[in-house]
Amino acid sequence: MTAIQSSSLVKVYHKSKTPALKKVSLTVNRGQIFTLLGRNGAGKTTFLRVAATQLLPSDGKVEVLGSDVVSEAAKIRKKIAVVPQEGNTIGPLTPWDHVYLTLLARGMTRADARDRTRKVLDQLEMTSYQSKPADTLSGGLRQRIRVAMAVATDAELLFLDEPTLGLDAISRRRIWSVLKDICREGRTILLTTHYIDEAEILSDNVAVINSGTLVTSGSPKELLSKVDERVRVDVTGDRFTEDDLARYGRPVRIAERWRVLTDNKRAGELTIEAVRRNCDVSVSPVSLEDLFVDLVGGEEENATMSGDEK
Amino acid sequence: MSVYHTLRSSVVIGYMLSIAWVRRNLLSLVWLFATPFSILFLITVTSGGHAFVQATIGTILFVLATVGTGLAGDATWYRLEVKLQDLFVASPVSQMGYLLGIALNGLFFATPALVILLPVLVYLGLPLIDLPLVMLAVCAVWLFSATIGYIVSTYVTNLRNGWQSGLLLSVIVAVIPPAFYPAEILPPNILPIAYLMPTTHASLILRSFIGQTPELAYWSPAFGWTMLGVSLVVALLVMLRLARWRQP
Repeated sequence: MTAIQSSSLVKVYHKSKTPALKKVSLTVNRGQIFTLLGRNGAGKTTFLRVAATQLLPSDGKVEVLGSDVVSEAAKIRKKIAVVPQEGNTIGPLTPWDHVYLTLLARGMTRADARDRTRKVLDQLEMTSYQSKPADTLSGGLRQRIRVAMAVATDAELLFLDEPTLGLDAISRRRIWSVLKDICREGRTILLTTHYIDEAEILSDNVAVINSGTLVTSGSPKELLSKVDERVRVDVTGDRFTEDDLARYGRPVRIAERWRVLTDNKRAGELTIEAVRRNCDVSVSPVSLEDLFVDLVGGEEENATMSGDEK
Repeated sequence: MSVYHTLRSSVVIGYMLSIAWVRRNLLSLVWLFATPFSILFLITVTSGGHAFVQATIGTILFVLATVGTGLAGDATWYRLEVKLQDLFVASPVSQMGYLLGIALNGLFFATPALVILLPVLVYLGLPLIDLPLVMLAVCAVWLFSATIGYIVSTYVTNLRNGWQSGLLLSVIVAVIPPAFYPAEILPPNILPIAYLMPTTHASLILRSFIGQTPELAYWSPAFGWTMLGVSLVVALLVMLRLARWRQP
């Protein structure tokens, strides 16, 4: 069963000459966490907003839960909820007010709204803050309120636009856990992020978007199989030149270190050589980040977009 | 979405942005009670009390119109900063439910003025039995202004322009039309332009309810009510047609 089906979706913003989306075709199956991964301005949010009926497509076709986003938006809106990117909470309202009143506005009964509000605040570990004004809470807690407002609904399909932006590692993991629970309930999540570790850990399927174009898609495992090398070796310091490292594999400069993508045998050789030259060295399997850099990133971008940098 | 669901959503959104807000932030009450009466005070003092009736009518309409046109700023803030519009677009809440909700929020902030000034109108000669009709007239001005404010907000791309638009609209809707001053002083060739504003008709209707029926060319209470209704319906139709619920 398909949750979202886009065919040759094009979006050109008013007064813009460059398309934000260029003939993007992708399928999101029901009951999945599907992640749109890309750099800032790649077109992730635009795709999400078109599918969430917030933005009109310029060309192409998008069906959400079997209905067309242009002609049947009202049908879709009964079954979806969204966490918009970088929104704010409403001044002095408490987390309880935000969630409970949003559910009532959507048409939920008071009893259901109370139960769901209690449950989601508990899941997101916000019970002890539930009566505090939002404008006295930290940025991370306010972001959790915004996630709770969507997660607490009974929507079949959730659109989460960078839901963990600016959160600390523990808060992010808490939200991931809640999103996994939602998925187990059979609901679908379309998520955008530029945190590669988030995409890798959380997603059933990932689509990489760059400059409005769908670059690749598949499960994290399928995507990883597209990288020729199996292992990466990170070497810190300047005791190797690029030419030195090229003998062991494919070197990429990341800030103060070199990353060499290679195979197991040459990784072993490089590690021995790095230890001999008194360099810090670490070896790990290639990740989605390496594929991402291959597909869309320059070295500088990689340094700012790596999950390690958060 | 059914009428019931639209009204329910609007009441909840209105509550969320007004009563819930004030309950959590009592300082808002100061603004609520202090600001509406400043112009009434000024006009009453500078006219030596002679313009008190017209100033009272003007203040009621000004407050209702201003909380409406103020949506040009408030709704811009909800859309750009809070992302409340995005949240409700992707939900069962309809555009009309959202508009009524954010407009009700404004009406709540106008209640101190209404609660104090409507009894003053009764003291000045308004028959109690006509009070519901007076409320209907002022609410028409409120909803008209809120609709115009909301339409403008959907086109504004930054918050500062939103607040500025709200101020400009309040001048157009509530200050320039004859609400604080008698329409009789307008030149005959300007009067038809004033008739285009629902505030003019609401002001004249209120005057006629307290026994000061104006003697103006082409104007009668029936004409005033018709123009009030027509302007509100036109504003709502324009809103449904032009306001950007879903962005282009």
